[in-house]
Amino acid sequence: MQYLLQLLISGLAIGAIYGLIAMGFAVIYKSTGLVNFAQGEMTMITAYIAWTISTTVSGNVFVVAIGAVLAAVLLGLIIERVVMRPMLGEPVFATVMVTIGLAVILRSAINFIWDAYPHGLDIGMGRGIVHLGGIGVRTGQIGVIATLLALLAAIWAFFRYSKIGVAMRAVAADDRTALLMGISAIRVHALAWAASSVIAGIGGVFFALSYDLSPAMFQLGLKAFPATILGGLDAVLGSGLGGLLIGITENLAGGYIGSDMKEITGFAMIIVVLMIRPFGIFGERDIERV
Amino acid sequence: MPTTIPTEMPLGVPQAAPAHDCLLEFRNIRVVYDNAIEAIRDVSIAVPEGGIVALLGSNGAGKSTLLKAMSGILYTEEGVIENGSIRFRGDDVHHLAPDELVRRGIVQVPEGRRVFAALTIDENLQMGGYTRTNAEARQRRDKVFALFPRLHERRDQIAGYMSGGEQQMLAIGRALMTDPVLLALDEPSLGLAPLIIDRIYEVIARLRDELKMTVLLVEQNAQRALDIADYGYILETGRVVLDGTAERLTANEDVQEFYLGISRAGRKSLRDVKHYKRRKRWLS
Repeated sequence: MQYLLQLLISGLAIGAIYGLIAMGFAVIYKSTGLVNFAQGEMTMITAYIAWTISTTVSGNVFVVAIGAVLAAVLLGLIIERVVMRPMLGEPVFATVMVTIGLAVILRSAINFIWDAYPHGLDIGMGRGIVHLGGIGVRTGQIGVIATLLALLAAIWAFFRYSKIGVAMRAVAADDRTALLMGISAIRVHALAWAASSVIAGIGGVFFALSYDLSPAMFQLGLKAFPATILGGLDAVLGSGLGGLLIGITENLAGGYIGSDMKEITGFAMIIVVLMIRPFGIFGERDIERV
Repeated sequence: MPTTIPTEMPLGVPQAAPAHDCLLEFRNIRVVYDNAIEAIRDVSIAVPEGGIVALLGSNGAGKSTLLKAMSGILYTEEGVIENGSIRFRGDDVHHLAPDELVRRGIVQVPEGRRVFAALTIDENLQMGGYTRTNAEARQRRDKVFALFPRLHERRDQIAGYMSGGEQQMLAIGRALMTDPVLLALDEPSLGLAPLIIDRIYEVIARLRDELKMTVLLVEQNAQRALDIADYGYILETGRVVLDGTAERLTANEDVQEFYLGISRAGRKSLRDVKHYKRRKRWLS
């Protein structure tokens, strides 16, 4: 029982990180119709920048948090402006291929700008252990779960009530008609890239708090991708919940069947889900464009 | 030789500059898709303020292309205005971005309604008012609800579940939310029952008569359009082949033959029509 609870909680914690990155995928898909295969790499870059801030400027939590968010916004905006905007109106397939190219470039950038060694992100938080009913839980794990839940609520309200949130849904539904109504698709796309970069970046920073930074961190994107397929590529909230589901499942499989199972559980799950519900558990429509 | 050659055939030379009360004007527009397909060839159309101008023609004549050029969205289909200008209140606007055109008061209701299916009626209207402040948008919405009480009744419902006629009303209401000076409608009667079409056309007439709105009406349904229009243009294969006041067009034998389905000599067989079309000079 103790073991099961331990697995569940650590599954939830890693699942929340997947969920955050999966929401990053979904925000971009929902407003631009693209799958961003560089999501894991963008997450990694944001985490590295947070680490750089913590080691060079200040280890203060707020400085690092604000700096990381600003860096993530900038990263999203730059990628949208430099790489994605020129691709506007090109076939979806070509544009998705561009994100794959971008992924490789960002991955190598880590070795150019930083180095190939693992680093610990230490901001004096997140590594302490709290005992909950006899189970040791890291404060960082509690923090990431709470952050995911808070962001889920905030994003739900954003898409439901804010004018720009509704506009993002309108652009996703029919971008040409949105243009006819005077909605600037470019601005909506830029916002989506910035928001996606921030949401996923938060996941990356939490990952770095609990585990370590390394150039292999981009693989988080590969773990989060099944989560967003599972929840529905166009379902931002569903993707967040999909992350939790993947995290728990892979932890249980790793704990009870064998640690090798951890790597493949997520993908095994999406194969099953895609056979039953091709548009994901919470998805609204067929995702034939991918 | 055919005796019914239209007398108003434009010859491709620039027409005399229209009077300055002309709100929107296409001047010698040429539109090319993909650098290869010429969709519009040297078309000049004038839309005077406060009137309804009908743009008639069959599929592929270039009617929708003209509206897309007007709204600045040709680029989404690799279309380019290669020649000519589009003037709105005297300014050349053919290079402006779609949102700037909406702010200046040009809006179109796209073909096939294109409501945002997953959004509620309220949210659809909110998107129409995207370029306006929240206070302006609320005022506009009350006016739209007054015009279409049905939308008010169903305001929290998902737009995609409404009937075709209701969706058309929503599409018009959404366009009115932008506070337009010029409202262009792309085939508002498409796929609707005759009774619903009557309602839609009543509203269009009211927009002109009560709200003093200028309407550019694109239709295949020539009968309906000429009934309420003040002036009409007939497009075929990217050129204006005929234009005139609605009365003159309705009286024109060719228009009766090919667009209104009326024939002097009783019903004709399809072979006669084909023969007639072959002789028609403007189709060459």
